[in-house]
Amino acid sequence: MINETTSYTEKIQEVIETADVALFMKGTPEAIMCGNSQRALGALRRAGAPITAVDVLLDMRIRQDLSALSGWPTIPQVFVKGELIGGADIVEDMERSGELEQTLVEKLGESYWDARGERTVTLTS
Amino acid sequence: MSKERVQTLLERAFPEAEELLVIDRGGGDHLEVRVTDTAFDGLSRVQQHKLVYEALDEPWKDGSIHELRINTKGTQA
Repeated sequence: MINETTSYTEKIQEVIETADVALFMKGTPEAIMCGNSQRALGALRRAGAPITAVDVLLDMRIRQDLSALSGWPTIPQVFVKGELIGGADIVEDMERSGELEQTLVEKLGESYWDARGERTVTLTS
Repeated sequence: MSKERVQTLLERAFPEAEELLVIDRGGGDHLEVRVTDTAFDGLSRVQQHKLVYEALDEPWKDGSIHELRINTKGTQA
């Protein structure tokens, strides 16, 4: 029996804490449902990030719980090693300035590129 | 209508801003804001944008803003 009051908070937290790079997006990398999610994903792909994607459209509560946790109202949200680095605008800016790669190197190590790729985690309540 | 409202809310939150600009990027609910303020000095971009989101919490929650681009700058280069 599913408890209606169960929240996604713990599962979201687990993804944020365990994934090197977590991308909360609308849709999945294979079926992107929003231009801004596409922009963030594109920047991360070009930087060779090891991406763990979570589709927030599966349940409205995922988005609500995520924003309550992060204090960030919009999607996408990108976390590197547990820290929110921003949404599409910031991540694209960081790509242009070289800061994105620099952050990935600092947080994940020089050889982060070896682990590049995408996986999708499906959250269930 | 939400462009003016956003402008007012931002002016209230950042009364001393060096630059404060709200640009309609389409339909009145796709907005871009540019704010330069000493309040952003020493903050990360995530923290800067959070201050803007906080100021615009109301129109954000009631759906008057559909999409928002934020450009923030501190006054120390």
